[in-house]
Amino acid sequence: MSKPHYDREHHVKKATGIGDPQCFKGEAGPPKFKVGDKVRVRDLPDIFYSRTQVYTRGAEATVAELVYESPAPEDEAWDNTENVVWFYSLIFKQKDLWPDYPDAFANDTLETELPERWLEPL
Amino acid sequence: MSSSVRHKVMKHLEIVKQLQPSLHYETHAPAPDQIDNEHYRAYTRMSHDVGGEPDVPITWEEKEEEVWEHNTFVTCEVLAWRGVWNAEERRRRQNVDVGQTQYLGLPYYGRWLLTAARILVDKQYITVTELSDKIDEVRKRYE
Amino acid sequence: MAEKHKPAPMVEEVSEFEVLEIAVRELAIEKGLFTAEDHQRWTEYMHTLGPLPAARLVAKAWLDPEFKKLAVEDGVKASLEVGIDWVNSMPTHFGTPSDYCNLRVLEDTPKLKHVVVCTLCSCYPRPILGQSPEWYRTPNYRRRLVRWPRQVLAEFGLQLPDDVEVRVEDSNQKSRFIVLPVRPEGTEGWSEDQLAEIVTRDCLIGVATPKPGKTANDPRPVRPAVNPYHH
Repeated sequence: MSKPHYDREHHVKKATGIGDPQCFKGEAGPPKFKVGDKVRVRDLPDIFYSRTQVYTRGAEATVAELVYESPAPEDEAWDNTENVVWFYSLIFKQKDLWPDYPDAFANDTLETELPERWLEPL
Repeated sequence: MSSSVRHKVMKHLEIVKQLQPSLHYETHAPAPDQIDNEHYRAYTRMSHDVGGEPDVPITWEEKEEEVWEHNTFVTCEVLAWRGVWNAEERRRRQNVDVGQTQYLGLPYYGRWLLTAARILVDKQYITVTELSDKIDEVRKRYE
Repeated sequence: MAEKHKPAPMVEEVSEFEVLEIAVRELAIEKGLFTAEDHQRWTEYMHTLGPLPAARLVAKAWLDPEFKKLAVEDGVKASLEVGIDWVNSMPTHFGTPSDYCNLRVLEDTPKLKHVVVCTLCSCYPRPILGQSPEWYRTPNYRRRLVRWPRQVLAEFGLQLPDDVEVRVEDSNQKSRFIVLPVRPEGTEGWSEDQLAEIVTRDCLIGVATPKPGKTANDPRPVRPAVNPYHH
């Protein structure tokens, strides 16, 4: 069996002079959500790799910004970069993440970024 | 085999008997009926996903950098610059593929370093024999 | 319970990490994956890094409302004005592999305080802030900050009033973050240089706030290296 061939140049060709994630701009198609939308984080299987933190699963959040387009980390972690998706900056109420979060600090929030596939409309 | 090597072997066995999987039971490698879905999820968890785990306060420290730590960081970035891997492949390998025991037991850059060695082998740029010979040769420089 | 801090290995014994680091670097060079010059160039690039550009970005934003607007809207573009090109400043000309090119500047207000963590690894805006501190990389900081932010901030000496919203930024993808703190009282009429001096690395991560006269991070124990790298 011959050794697999890796195209070591594919990323440098795409991103040189442009940057990453800028080099994926325009590849994700129309975004499913807009700023201000309420969403819930899906509890998808996270077999082998994900950057969607367990503590966000099933929690409600508000879309704060459409930040960029990029392959999802689950794909990019094996150098699969064909499927480009929208990434959203989301704001969670801390009270929605942690049942024991003190009522006195009900305004406290947490922000993190997730790819579109992990979100469903609320 | 020299007696100093045998001494190292015995010391090694004393340390590894203290290593434990993330949940300790008397019997390891359970039968399928002994593991439910919650335990499957716990054992297959991604070791990097630590947000929200309870822990006690510690002293916040700064740290001097070792020469090997600096060189390891640079090697990992240059491997990515030259397309051997991308940063997400590196993170997946060094923060999840290593497993819970190495993830928590090794220094931060120790994981970077083992992962840099591993990518060269996994993508068949080097063989394990070459790596082993090189490690042995470098060790001898310091004897 | 295992002892927390084991004694450092004896200096005359080379560590397995040192051996493996040399082995990996030499093999990668022998196989033509990168050159010794590539490695040297990246080391030289690392020598240029530190928190000063980020501190200057904050000082500029305090002095110029238009620049502040730009910084919050487009951190990458704003970085150019403090000498950092997120795409071309480094040898790659596509950004650093690990830090990408999407700086976001988090603007504090008197009622909103940001603090940054990466729960999944240790994502950090190296091109504009230098290497991350050890504590930022610990599982302990990453475990606790997202859930008990006020306790952790108090341990860093930052007590926040109840009516200030604490917003934890969990930096988990390709954006990198610095905090743009509120300009403190007692700095009226200060120059950009004077202002930049009080914007410490810890202020830019969000575990401290700038104060007149405070030009360094809070003192903390420094864990010495066995074979230290001199920057």
